[in-house]
Amino acid sequence: MSDVEDMAIESLALAPVLDLKAAAPLKAALLERRGHPLELDAADVQRLGGLCLQVLLAAGAAWRADGVPMRIGPRSDAFLDALRLFGGENAFSFQPEGASL
Amino acid sequence: MDELEEIKVTFFQECDELLADLENGLLAMQSGDSDGETINAVFRAVHSIKGGAGAFGLDPLVRFAHVFETLLDGVRSHKIDVTVELVRELLRAADVLADHVQAARTDGVVDEAASADMAAVLAALTASGGRIAPVGGVAPPPAPVVTPDDEIGSSFKPMAIMSLANFDEPAELPSLGGGAWTVTFRPKTELYRNANDPLLLLRELERLGPITVAINDETLPSLSEMDPEAAYLAFTVTLDAPVTEAQIQEVFEFVEGDCDVEITGGPAPAEAPALDIAALLAAAETAQIEMAPPVAEPVVAPPVAVAPPPVIEPVAEPVAPPAPASVAIEAHPEPAPEFTGVLASAIKTPQPKAPPANEPVANAQATIRVDPERIDRLIDLVGELVINQAMLAQRVIESGLASSSSVALGLDELEQLTRQIQDGVMAIRAQPVKSVFQRMPRLVREVANMTGKSVRLVTEGESTEVDKTVIERLGEPITHMLRNAIDHGLETPDERRAAGKPIEGTVRLAALHRGGRIVIEVGDDGRGINRKRVYAIAVEKELIAPDAVLSDEEIDNLIFLPGFSTASTVSDISGRGVGMDVVRRSVQALGGRISISSKPGEGSVFTLSLPLTLAVLDGMVVDVAGQTLVIPLTAIVESLRPKAEEVKGLGPQGAVLSVRDSFVPLVDIANALGFRSDKRAPHEGVVLLIEAEDGGRAALVADAIQGQRQVVIKSLESNYRQVEGIAAATILGDGRVALIVDVDALVAMRRRDNTRPTEPTLFAAE
Repeated sequence: MSDVEDMAIESLALAPVLDLKAAAPLKAALLERRGHPLELDAADVQRLGGLCLQVLLAAGAAWRADGVPMRIGPRSDAFLDALRLFGGENAFSFQPEGASL
Repeated sequence: MDELEEIKVTFFQECDELLADLENGLLAMQSGDSDGETINAVFRAVHSIKGGAGAFGLDPLVRFAHVFETLLDGVRSHKIDVTVELVRELLRAADVLADHVQAARTDGVVDEAASADMAAVLAALTASGGRIAPVGGVAPPPAPVVTPDDEIGSSFKPMAIMSLANFDEPAELPSLGGGAWTVTFRPKTELYRNANDPLLLLRELERLGPITVAINDETLPSLSEMDPEAAYLAFTVTLDAPVTEAQIQEVFEFVEGDCDVEITGGPAPAEAPALDIAALLAAAETAQIEMAPPVAEPVVAPPVAVAPPPVIEPVAEPVAPPAPASVAIEAHPEPAPEFTGVLASAIKTPQPKAPPANEPVANAQATIRVDPERIDRLIDLVGELVINQAMLAQRVIESGLASSSSVALGLDELEQLTRQIQDGVMAIRAQPVKSVFQRMPRLVREVANMTGKSVRLVTEGESTEVDKTVIERLGEPITHMLRNAIDHGLETPDERRAAGKPIEGTVRLAALHRGGRIVIEVGDDGRGINRKRVYAIAVEKELIAPDAVLSDEEIDNLIFLPGFSTASTVSDISGRGVGMDVVRRSVQALGGRISISSKPGEGSVFTLSLPLTLAVLDGMVVDVAGQTLVIPLTAIVESLRPKAEEVKGLGPQGAVLSVRDSFVPLVDIANALGFRSDKRAPHEGVVLLIEAEDGGRAALVADAIQGQRQVVIKSLESNYRQVEGIAAATILGDGRVALIVDVDALVAMRRRDNTRPTEPTLFAAE
């Protein structure tokens, strides 16, 4: 793992409440970072709604299409639980717990 | 009719209109008219159909309409560009939607495969932002594939986002017989707007038992193209718990309408509600339940007491043939009871047969839709009644009964009632001209495209009602008048610019009632009739004498003469072998008139006037050489007894009548129709002053007037053959046939005779 590559990773902290109001800003924030390796910080997420899930899934597809990595780093239980309920837990791979970038 | 059924009938009637709107809108888009209003109208049509269908639980229709609507929403919000290919798919989807509506209306089925294919195409279009899939058209948006190569650098090894395509397939769905429910639900955008979230629904479902969820992201667009506040995902939930369908439905109770839900599967019917079992047993008693292949042999349901109905067995016994294969219930005397759960999949499987076209809906008495033929028959019968009543009245008069006698008074009442019934029945058959008008925007666009002109069509009076018999005949003349207005009336954009007019020409199509007739006006704001040119052409084609003196109006109406065509190049549009003369003839055959008025530089107006119905006619009954004839009242201006000095001879044959300082040609009906060859002095008879369709007047000479009467029109053409000068026939009170005079044709016949070269012209005489 080279430092240079690590430095290239941008991090995006997700808002605590990812509901309808958060969907557009989330999309905008993701679009801004398009083309850059990205880690999503879901540590503070208390609620993940269907709309933001869509945005995240679409972002995942976009990053993959670009051939640029994206991952989910720290994540809250609420975030994980929501993903599980949505059937989306396998949609993302996660930075292993405790691992540093 | 139960109230819900009534609403449903109305819904389907609205569906017809909405589907027409939808098609009109799409056709408009196809011809390049993709303004916001059109797209909104198209969207609204689908949205309204979906909304109504949702209220009636017409799930297949709702599901399809939803996918359709989603795509249209993308178009509406400019996320998807309108292309010819897109509109073509949208038109196809409109057809499938119409099939769905028809299936829902008749309890039939749609071609599920075709519908699913179409839905997939629509979903793919939504997802791809309107790009047409290259092959087959049904491919969902390309699913991104993750390979190790995708990763940049080793540091990213642990993170990859799995192929979304994986979500298309619900993971390890337990078999239906295994007792699991499959709940597929697709939240709509409204669900989110109403502060709801599928997460809450999933949580509620999880309360019922362990769930496995699979995401369906087929319609998810790319990140840049997606509307972050629009719903794209669907979820397939497998719930393995001993719950009833009702319990699952309860979860979705609060999002009804905001979410498409489909519940299938469910536990074995051991604990199914008693009602279902009872209903099933009842069904088994009365029905012959047939197990279709693989158990090919028909099984007659055994008596209830002896054994359980055969349908249950296969469900409970996985070894037995697959239950839902195809169970046909035949000779079912009553509507099948409703089943839920697995029983449903067993019993409901007898797919409703797609009824043949035009087959009345099962619950025919619960609808107000009536076969038009029945109304036609009723109108015929009422016509007979009118004739019969007139005959009865005639007999009473002949029997010498006083007009104050109770019989005569009773007959008067009968006459009034008959008239009211006739009016009432005619009102049932009356239709707004909208059905004809709504076909015209497409025509206008087509003609505009072909001529390279920019045209705006303005319609007025679409709700004007007219009898069905007339509606059916309106289309052709209107079509031709519109073509003519655009092709000949409107200038090219360059010419309009030069004339200081807006580049876009306006064609106005209006309908109104006037004087007991329907009047259709087709006006344009074009160059108006070039009278010099029309006159020159008429002379050149020997339609008029080179030195003829004609009023502006007469020159304008020369375009209706046979063999007249002003187009210097025979265009595709107007030059379709049908000249205005043919239009005029067909209009006249309907008892109508057509004329044109024009102002140079300002445009022209075609005016078409037709009777409101072709079933009855108000006429003046006259005697002519021992024959009884009917003159349509609408043509008559006044009737008078001419004085001998008011009649002036004109040439060897003709004569004119002096009426208030103007001369009107006299037409002896008996001579014109060949009832009598010898001349009779006009002042010995009565004269009916009539106005022809071109505004010209003539004086018809009859022997006597019997009176004014409403008569039932009987076609002479269909019962005998066409006779020049005669429009139709009727049956009089005394049972005799009376001919109805075609006034315009009669006048034209006289004109034609008078314009023979051997005869002196009007101006040379006297």
